[in-house]
Amino acid sequence: MALHAHYRLNRHRKFEQEGRKYVADLQTNDIVEVNDVEWEILSRYGTQTQYQIVEELKEEYKVESIFDGIERLERLGQQGSLLSTIDGAAKKATDSWKQEGRKPKLLVPFHFTNEKTSLDYTTNLNRYQLLTHLTQFADLETLTFSKAGEEDLKPQDFQGYGDIRIRDIETEENSAFGPPWYAMDGYDGILLLSQFLTDDLLYYQLPDVPIVHCIEDVQKLQGSTLETLLNIYALQNANDTLIVRSSWVKERLTEYGILGKNVCVIPNGINVGEPISKSLAKQYTAALFEKPMFSQQPIVGLISGFGPNYGAKLVSAFAHANPHLAIFVYDPFLAENYKNPPDNVVIFSADDEETRSVLPIFFQALDLVCFPAILGTPLSLVLEAMAYGTPCVAMTKYGLPPEVKGAGAVVKLDWRDYGNPYVPMPELSNTINHWLKPSHTRTECENAAKGLAQKFTWEKSARGIAQFFEKGHERSIREKTLLPSVFCRRYNPGTGDTISSVYRIGTNRYDCLEIAFVEMLAEQHTPAEVEAIFKHFRWETSAS
Amino acid sequence: MFDFPRVLHRLHLFEEDGVLYAADIEKARVIEISVVMVDILKLAEKQTSEEIVQTLNTSYPEDEILEAFERFAEFEREGLLFNRGENLRATFAIESKRRKLLVVIPNITTDSFFDIETLYAGTNMALSYMFEHLTKYVDLHFAGNQNRKLADNVYEVDISVFDFGRLSRRINETYFGILTLHRDHETWLLPLYQHKELPPILVQCHAPRGHGGNAINSMLRHYAAMRDFDAFTAPSDYVREFYSNYVWDPSFFNTLPNGVDSALFCPMEKEKAKKELAEHVGDDRIVTTPTVGYLSRVQSEKGASVYLKLAELNPHLLFLIAGPHFGRYQLRELPDNLVYAGFHPREKLPMVYNAFDVYCFLSMSGEETFGLTVLEAMACGVPPIVPNFDGVPSVVGDAGLIADAENFDQDIGTLVSYPSPIDFSEKINLLLSDDGMRQTFSQKARERALSFTWDKTAQRIIHFFEALHEKRQLVSPNKLLNAFAPDIEVSNPKQNHLKYKSIVLSMNKYYQRSLMGDALYSQRVEEGLAITLLRNHTAREAEALLAEFIEDQAEAKTILQRVRGLIHATA
Repeated sequence: MALHAHYRLNRHRKFEQEGRKYVADLQTNDIVEVNDVEWEILSRYGTQTQYQIVEELKEEYKVESIFDGIERLERLGQQGSLLSTIDGAAKKATDSWKQEGRKPKLLVPFHFTNEKTSLDYTTNLNRYQLLTHLTQFADLETLTFSKAGEEDLKPQDFQGYGDIRIRDIETEENSAFGPPWYAMDGYDGILLLSQFLTDDLLYYQLPDVPIVHCIEDVQKLQGSTLETLLNIYALQNANDTLIVRSSWVKERLTEYGILGKNVCVIPNGINVGEPISKSLAKQYTAALFEKPMFSQQPIVGLISGFGPNYGAKLVSAFAHANPHLAIFVYDPFLAENYKNPPDNVVIFSADDEETRSVLPIFFQALDLVCFPAILGTPLSLVLEAMAYGTPCVAMTKYGLPPEVKGAGAVVKLDWRDYGNPYVPMPELSNTINHWLKPSHTRTECENAAKGLAQKFTWEKSARGIAQFFEKGHERSIREKTLLPSVFCRRYNPGTGDTISSVYRIGTNRYDCLEIAFVEMLAEQHTPAEVEAIFKHFRWETSAS
Repeated sequence: MFDFPRVLHRLHLFEEDGVLYAADIEKARVIEISVVMVDILKLAEKQTSEEIVQTLNTSYPEDEILEAFERFAEFEREGLLFNRGENLRATFAIESKRRKLLVVIPNITTDSFFDIETLYAGTNMALSYMFEHLTKYVDLHFAGNQNRKLADNVYEVDISVFDFGRLSRRINETYFGILTLHRDHETWLLPLYQHKELPPILVQCHAPRGHGGNAINSMLRHYAAMRDFDAFTAPSDYVREFYSNYVWDPSFFNTLPNGVDSALFCPMEKEKAKKELAEHVGDDRIVTTPTVGYLSRVQSEKGASVYLKLAELNPHLLFLIAGPHFGRYQLRELPDNLVYAGFHPREKLPMVYNAFDVYCFLSMSGEETFGLTVLEAMACGVPPIVPNFDGVPSVVGDAGLIADAENFDQDIGTLVSYPSPIDFSEKINLLLSDDGMRQTFSQKARERALSFTWDKTAQRIIHFFEALHEKRQLVSPNKLLNAFAPDIEVSNPKQNHLKYKSIVLSMNKYYQRSLMGDALYSQRVEEGLAITLLRNHTAREAEALLAEFIEDQAEAKTILQRVRGLIHATA
C-alpha cells in the first residue's frame, strides 16, 4: 500500500457563533463549518499523529466518526481548504531517536512464533539469535492483547529472545482495531520476522513507519517463500526494506523483474564450534551414524535446498555415481521422510539443542561442501559448514555467490519448467571429485573458507538491519494529483464510437487516460502494485 | 461615498497575530480588515455614512474613514459583509417550515421565469411552468446575487455556485435538493459532485444529444461524476433508451414529461379562431382554405426547410407559420401558400393553434425530447403529425400521426433526423381529406393532453428527490484496503509466467480484518481494480475504466456488481 498523503494545517482560527462551530483558514480565507469531532481533531491535527488523535477521542466519539472527521478535513485539504499537502519533493527526517540520543524503538510483532512448528529448528534459532543481538542497537518491544477470559502470548513465549519489552494492550471483546493499529504508536520502525503469515501484510498499510522484513531461506518452503517475497515486494513502500539472507535469493528475484533497491542481502551470523581435528571429527561422525566408511572415505556435505522429490533423486543418483564417497546430507525434510538412502549417504537435521550441538562435529568432518544456490538453501548453514576451512562446490545459475568468494567452484544449474532446478549429474560428479583432490587452488580455497567465521557474525547482521531503519526515514512523500479527474466515456461524433477517457476538472478538457489512471493508482498503491496491474493487463509498463 | 446604514451579514470579528479579521459566516469567507473598519462595522447598521464619519473623525483622519468606505464598496461588490438584498436579511434565514429546493441556473435571469412573455424557447417555458407548480409543494430559492422575494414561496438568495463547497453543510441542512439544468457548454456543475455533503442534485436535461457530440459527451461526463444520489431528468423515455447504448446504469435517467396548461390551451370554435387569425394576418385564405400549422422558430433544425417543401408540394393547402420572425427564409422566394402568421403573446396562442386544421411538428434537432408545442396543439384539439424520431412520438401516442423520418445513426451538426416530406405530405392530405378521422384524432389529442399536467411534473420532481434521499441513505463508503501482488501457483510447476492477484487486506483504516477469520481474501486483479477505483471515484467512473480494460462487457458489469456488493456488505 502507498504512503498516506501528508497534510499540514493552515494558519487558522476556530470560533463558535450561534451554537455552530467554524474554522477560518487565514491562508485561503475560507470558512468551514465543522462538527464537534472535527473541532477536536483540528485542535490536535498539527501536533498529534492520527493514532494519538483517535486514541484520545475514541472514548468520547464513535471511532467511525473520528475517521470520517479526519477524512473530511483531508478531503477539504485536497480541495484547497484548511490543510495543505506537504511538498512532494520535501524530505522528512523523523529519526527522533538520534536527536534524543537513544536507540530506535522497534516493534517486533511476536506472532511470528506461531510459525515455530512449521519451520525448522535452524530458522527458529536464527530468529532468536538475531533478536538477542539486535538489542545492542535497538529497543525492542512487542505487543500482547488481553481480553477478558482470553490469554494472548504468555511471558514464557518471549523467554530466550533477549531483552524485549512487552506491551500489553487491554482490548474490549469486540474491539475493531487490528494489531497494526497499535504499531502506529510511537515506534521508529517495525521488524517483521514471519516467513509466511499473511497477517504481516497489514503492517504495510501503516503510514510512515519503516518496516524491515527478514525472510529466511527455509528448507522445504521454497515455493511459499517465493510467494511471500513477491507479496512483500509488491506491498513495500519507499521506506521499507526486504532483507533476504543470500545473494542468490536476490538474483532469483531479479528473474521476476524485481530490481528494487529495497531488497537487500544481509546474511545471518554463523555459529562456529570448538575446533577439533578432521580425523577425529570423521571418527565421531562414522561412530554416530554407525557408518565406518565416513572415517575412511572423503566426505561430501550437501546442504540441500531442493524440493523433497528432486532432492531425494539427486542424492540417490549422486550416491550411486560416486560409491567411493561418503555423503552427508543436511535436509530437515529428507531426514524425516527419506528412510532408505543409499549406504554411502547419511541424512541429518538439527531439530533441537542437542542435535544442533553435534552439528559442528559433522561439519568439521567434511572434505567438501556442496550446495545449490537456490531458494531454500540456508546460507548460514553453508557458511558454518565451510568455516572450518572446507571449500565448496556451488550448484548455481548465477556464478559463485559473493558470500563464498574465493572459497570454491561452481556447477551449472538451470531451471526446468518454471521453478524446478536441474543439475547435470556428470558435471557435478566430475567437479566434486576434482575438488576433493589436494591442489594449490584447493588450499587457497580452504584458507578463504577459514575467514568466513569472522566475516559473518550476528553482530554485523544485527547492525546491518538496524541501519535500515535509519535509512527508512529518509523518504519522499507521495504527491497528490493537482486536478481532480473524472473517468468517463467519450463519444466521437465522427465515428459514432465511444472510448474511455478522462476529463480534468479545472482545465475542463479531456486528458490522457493512461496517465490519469496511473496517477490514480499511484495515490493508493505502490509502484510494484501498479506494475502488477499493468502486467496483468499485458500493457506496456513504461507509463509506470 | 458608500451608503450606510447597511444590513450586515452575520459576522465574527477577531484578532489573530495582531491582524484583525471579519469572518463572514454567510459567505464562508474571512477578510482582513483595519481597526477603523471594525469601528465602522459596529455602527454600520444604525448610522448613515455622514453620521459614521462624524462619530469616528475624532479617532481617525477622515481620509482613512473614506478609504475604508471604498474598501467596503469593493467587498460589497464581491457579495461580502453586507446583505445584498431588498427585503431579506440573510440567505439562510428565510423562515419557512416548508421544504426548500435550491434552483441553480446560472446565466439566465431569474426574473424571466416569472415573466412568461419574455420567454419563447420551449425549455425555458417548460421550466417556468414547472417552477410555478413546484411552489405548491416546496419553496424555491434561486441561487443569485441578492436576497429578495420574487413571488409567493419563491426567493432569490445571494449564493454563488462557487460558494457551494464551503457552504455545503449549511446548504445540506437547509435544502431538500438542488435542481439545475444541463447545458453542455457549462462546466460549473462537475466540481459540485465532489462535495459529499451537498444534498441530492437533480439535473434537468432537455437536450440529450446534438451539438456535434457535445451534448452526449457532457451528459457522459456528468453521468460519470455524479454521486450515487444524483440523477438526470429528461422529458421522455427516449432519453433513457438512448443512453442505455452508452451507459451501464440508465436508472440515472428519469422521465419527467412536461405538462400543458389545459385551461389556457383548449379547443375553440375553429371558424372563429380562423377568422380572428385571418384578420390579424390580413389573409382571408385562412378562413377558406384548409390550414396546416407550424409554431416554432423558423430555423433549419426546426424543420423550416421541410415545411417550405410541404407548401410547394401542396399548393391547394395553406401553410401557416407562427414564430418570432421569418428568419433567413424571408430572403427567399416563398410559395404563395406559405403565410407568416406573426408572433403572438402567450394568451393568443390558443387562438393560433385553433386556427390550424392540422399541426405539423418538423423539428430535426437532437434537442427534441418532447415537443411542448405539440402538446399545446393537442390540448387545443388539433391533430398533430410528427416525425418518428426521439421523444416526440411518445407525447403523441395514438392521438396523431407519426410520419417517416430518416434517423441518423450519428448526429451531424445539431441534426439527428430528416423528416420525410413525402410521408408528411401524404399524412397531411389524409387527415385533411377525412373529416371523421380528423375529428377522432382531435378528441384523442385533447384527452391525451389532459393527462400531461404541470402538477404531475412538479409531483414527480418531489418524488425524484425523495427517491434520491433514499438512495443517499443506502450509499456505502468504500473503506476496504486492498493490494495487488504476483500470484505464484506453487502446485503448478508448469506455470510459465507470473500471474497477479488482488488481496483485500482489511475493512477500514484501523485494520479491522476482513470478513470471517483472519484470512486474506484473494481476488482477481479486475476486482481489486474496481475496489481501488471505488474508493475515490464513482461506480460510473469505474464503469468507464472497466469497459476499457475488460473486453467482455457482460463480465465487466458483473465484476462491478460483485465488488459493489462486497463494499455494501462490509460497510
